[in-house]
Amino acid sequence: MLKMLKLATCAVALLVAGTISSANAGDTLTIGLATGQTGGLAPYDGPAIEGFQIAVDEINGAGGIGGNIMIKMISKDTRSDAAQTSIAAQELLEMGIDILVTPSDADPAFAAAALATDAKVPAFSPAASSPTLPLMGGDFMFANFPGDNVQATVSAEWAYGEGFRNAYILYSPDTQYTTLPLYFSDVWKVLGGTVAGEGTYVMGQQDFSAEVTKIKALNPPVDVIMTAAYEPDFPAFIRQLRSAGVTAQVIGSDGIDSPTTFSLGDAGDGVVFSTAGHALPGSALEEFNNKFKATYGRDADTIFAAIGYDLMKVIEAGVLAAGSTDSVAIRDAVANLENVQGVTSVITYKGTTGMPVRQVSLIRVKGGDRELVAQPSPTASLVPAPRMQ
Amino acid sequence: MVKSIVGTGGFVVVMVLAALIAGTIGGSIERTLVVFFISLIAVLGMGVYSGNSGILSFGHLGFMGLGAYLSGILTMPIAMKQMTLANLPPFLATAHFDLLGATVIAVIFVMVVALVVGIVISKLEGSAATITTLGLLVIVHGIIIGARDFTRGSQSFFGVPRVTDLTVAAICAVLAIIVARFYKDSVFGLKLRASRDDQLAAGAMGVNVRRERLLSWVISAGIVAVAGVLIGHFLGAFSVKKFYFVDTFALLAMLIVGGMATVTGALAGATLITLVTEILRRVEGGIEIFGFQTPQLFGTTQIGIGLIILLAMAKRSDGLFDRLEWDEALLGGWFAKKEKIVGDAPPEHKPVPEGSLQASSITKFFGGLKALDQVSLALANREIVGLIGPNGSGKTTLLNVLSGVLPASEGETLVDSQDVSTMTSHQLAGLGIGRTFQNIRLFSSLSVRQNVAVAALNAWPKVSTIVANEKVDMALEAMGITEFSEVQASTLSYGNQRRVEIARALALEPRFLFLDEPAAGMNREETDSLMDDLKSLCDRFGMGILIVDHDLPLIMRLCERVVVLNEGRVIAEGEPKTVQKDPQVIEAYLGHKGSQQVAEVLSD
Repeated sequence: MLKMLKLATCAVALLVAGTISSANAGDTLTIGLATGQTGGLAPYDGPAIEGFQIAVDEINGAGGIGGNIMIKMISKDTRSDAAQTSIAAQELLEMGIDILVTPSDADPAFAAAALATDAKVPAFSPAASSPTLPLMGGDFMFANFPGDNVQATVSAEWAYGEGFRNAYILYSPDTQYTTLPLYFSDVWKVLGGTVAGEGTYVMGQQDFSAEVTKIKALNPPVDVIMTAAYEPDFPAFIRQLRSAGVTAQVIGSDGIDSPTTFSLGDAGDGVVFSTAGHALPGSALEEFNNKFKATYGRDADTIFAAIGYDLMKVIEAGVLAAGSTDSVAIRDAVANLENVQGVTSVITYKGTTGMPVRQVSLIRVKGGDRELVAQPSPTASLVPAPRMQ
Repeated sequence: MVKSIVGTGGFVVVMVLAALIAGTIGGSIERTLVVFFISLIAVLGMGVYSGNSGILSFGHLGFMGLGAYLSGILTMPIAMKQMTLANLPPFLATAHFDLLGATVIAVIFVMVVALVVGIVISKLEGSAATITTLGLLVIVHGIIIGARDFTRGSQSFFGVPRVTDLTVAAICAVLAIIVARFYKDSVFGLKLRASRDDQLAAGAMGVNVRRERLLSWVISAGIVAVAGVLIGHFLGAFSVKKFYFVDTFALLAMLIVGGMATVTGALAGATLITLVTEILRRVEGGIEIFGFQTPQLFGTTQIGIGLIILLAMAKRSDGLFDRLEWDEALLGGWFAKKEKIVGDAPPEHKPVPEGSLQASSITKFFGGLKALDQVSLALANREIVGLIGPNGSGKTTLLNVLSGVLPASEGETLVDSQDVSTMTSHQLAGLGIGRTFQNIRLFSSLSVRQNVAVAALNAWPKVSTIVANEKVDMALEAMGITEFSEVQASTLSYGNQRRVEIARALALEPRFLFLDEPAAGMNREETDSLMDDLKSLCDRFGMGILIVDHDLPLIMRLCERVVVLNEGRVIAEGEPKTVQKDPQVIEAYLGHKGSQQVAEVLSD
């Protein structure tokens, strides 16, 4: 019994210590990270926070933001779950953080957005691309990635330019992000293409035979298939599609910017997808990738590490522009940032609702490697308005 | 009753203190306590069903989810609903309630759903029921995902006002403790706990096990729905994942580690798991201890909970608090003294009405085996009939058929002139058929008094608990075990356990009492004293007794009439003396050769 009492006392002491030690000091920018380090978002949030850490270490190594504001990170795992994100965000906000980093998917990020907006603390999702997130998440919610509607416009314009006319879209209503093909469909119709059919799937369903049969039966055959499916759905889909003999061009989006996509062999070959950047020789991104390898001893084989790095650069620029660590001042400064030089792109928030204007890269999978197709700017009038779907 | 009040009162004091302290400190301690209270409500709810029925349920998180989503739709600002749930039917789209109103509606809705589901589940036994609850969880999960217009499918459901604060959570937790404890100590809870310990015996003592299970299932669903409402309004945003396996696992861990049979166990389990989870969750992000930064180890929390379950199960498989409430463990003796009913003259049992039990041509097959073959038997008031026969001759099977534990394959049983052949054991118990079992089947975790009370509460016509209590006293006194009334039944000696079984059957005020080897395992003095008691029971109350025993001297001295079974058939019937000399009987017991020797001895 005495032993249990002692244990309980230690436990309570630990709990209390945890809350007190996190008090905020003068010239420190405290950043709370509530991200999915385990679960379905780990392939995105994991590298993003690794990249973020590189930027933090660089800045702190140089004496902090502007030479005097040191950055402190407090990290919490949200297990890729909305409820857990809400709890982690509440805890971090209560610790008095100045900036909140949310998970990379819009769905759990929504759970944190309302909290951050209530607490008047700017919140950033490293890689959420749903334009509805900053729109409905409140004034303090920012994204850090080309929006779904922008990516869809770039893909559609490219495909139309390639001469494709008859499209099929495959989407899942399970998350905001996986409904990206609906934006593609909008743009495609405006451009003059036809949408021969729409298919839906449940995330994690693995068996796409019904959808593949439907696609194969279409007459005239489709020449382009657009989907925002990602792991583990996309590899399953593309394998089943190709083994059924369908050769149409497949277009994906940033969710498949992962090593798996490049290891699918023949099935993956020729797939084109939109993402946030491409490491051309001599580019800032290539330089970052080298830095990543030097830090972690392995390749940064997705764009999300660089995206995490860029997020810290955006925050740095915001703090510099605000001239303080005051959360509201930082939010206002970020909302007016223009032409921040990141390693993936030049980033502008001014004139947006929180979805940054940044470059979109179209990548082709070729022989297990990346090939840059284009880095076009979308035609502004074609970009569909954000909507919940 | 006094016990329940003191028991819950203790918790309420502790919880209010905790809430006050946390409220003053605020911050993450306060939030941790809110989550703890919500978990506690859920665990208490699950315990109302699983703890009292002994059937583990994986399905309760489904009820929690339904509660969270429905109440969330009801409290969400209408403008928010138009944005995020554009396809809601108009009556929901324009509905707006405060937390209390939404809670009431959600709880009623969930209880109705639980009632429908429960009608199926309450028919199932043990692991079949558990697996079905697992199916329920999966189905509810699927429905929530499928009902996109209401729930946004598997996307985040957000925009729920965050109105669950410490006060609301604490009040609800106190209410949940009161409901759970009072249900457990109520007549319904007692009956269900009896069925948990021994379903067959509970049925034979008149407990309608299905109905009791259904009741606790519906109540527990209601409590869990409250937890769902609160967690939804605490988080403000959640997805269907919140109400699936991970949280089921965490809540079951609380339930099992603490001991699912008691409210104390639920509280202990919820406290322990919450403490460990909160500590590990802070440690896994990396913390500073004496200037040393620990590394980040995400995923530690789940592993930690798993280890606690392993440890708890290895050391104490009934949970930390076994099957006792804290007040029973600490103040048990005190209550025993307080609650002992003083009364030197227990009420006289009215003689049972005249009548008869008549079984005709009962046949029972077990697959291809004919266990009973055209057995006919009559039993009248004030009559003690012995049923004997070699091992495997069908004696116990006959008792099981007559008491409704097993259905007969053919033949009919009449009580007076009513055909009772198709009645279940609990219905027959209501008609005044009481029995004991060959291998003692007491409700092992209940006290002697509670064992007997289960039967007294089911006697027909129904009586108030006060009258039932008097009957318990009468039955205990009749069997001479009043001094053990507060002792846990399973701790008694073998002979006394047999006496408790008989007292329990007596409390049903049976017109016909079946005793299956009541003297087994007793020494000669105990057997003699039991015989005296049985004789006086028969004289005093006038019931008919059918007794199975291997102790032939006992049967011969006690019974006016003896029926002999062999290989499922009646081979002799009559006065003990006559039957004793029947060559067929001797042959059945001793074999052909032995019977010749005995015949020679007898003829000398």
